[in-house]
Amino acid sequence: MLNYALLLHAAPYSHQAALSALRFADTVVANGHRMKTIFFYHDGVHNASALMAPPQDEVHLADGWKRLHQEHGTELLVCVAAGLRRGLLDVSEASRHGVMSHSLEAPFELTGVGQLVDAMLTSDRMITFAP
Amino acid sequence: MMLHLLNRSPRSTATYQDVSEAFGSDDHLLLIEDACYAAQPSAGAALEPFGGRVSVLQEDLVARGLAKRVDPSVEVVDMNGFLALTETHERCVSWF
Repeated sequence: MLNYALLLHAAPYSHQAALSALRFADTVVANGHRMKTIFFYHDGVHNASALMAPPQDEVHLADGWKRLHQEHGTELLVCVAAGLRRGLLDVSEASRHGVMSHSLEAPFELTGVGQLVDAMLTSDRMITFAP
Repeated sequence: MMLHLLNRSPRSTATYQDVSEAFGSDDHLLLIEDACYAAQPSAGAALEPFGGRVSVLQEDLVARGLAKRVDPSVEVVDMNGFLALTETHERCVSWF
């Protein structure tokens, strides 16, 4: 069994990369490996939006990531600097910056790039998906 | 021994040039997403630098209507085959 980490740079629905990453993550767990961490970086932070509401007959990417967390304990880490720039804030960041609402909720976590380095060091494989 | 993941169409000649310069003698190339277009026999010399150590992702071929237009020198793998390549190659670098 190998520990996998994925780094996702791409926004949902703009490019194939987010769907490719989700499909790869599902394959990882289906083959008995551990899908340890997914790190959302740059435009990839939009995958964590709690407000995402795609048509019901399309793949719901945010629900896909959450399912990985619920069923397999996958950490869903969102770069805080990339998120703040793009309007991805949890309750505490929204309060800290004085904005009216928040757009990011658990199981997604706002973290720094230190967590990305940690994921690289503690995983057997790091696979990058980008636009 | 490194796995190179490439998602750009062969029109991105500079990216293919960069991959070929970094490609070691034990390395393997996996074409995903729009890089599937490079697996067609008509794509020309795009894959020549990789010495036949090239695979292409079946699901992305099918999505583009290219499943029956793959050069015989390119191995077709499904998602399980993609995962297997990451199991056997300790390091994986993505080009985009």
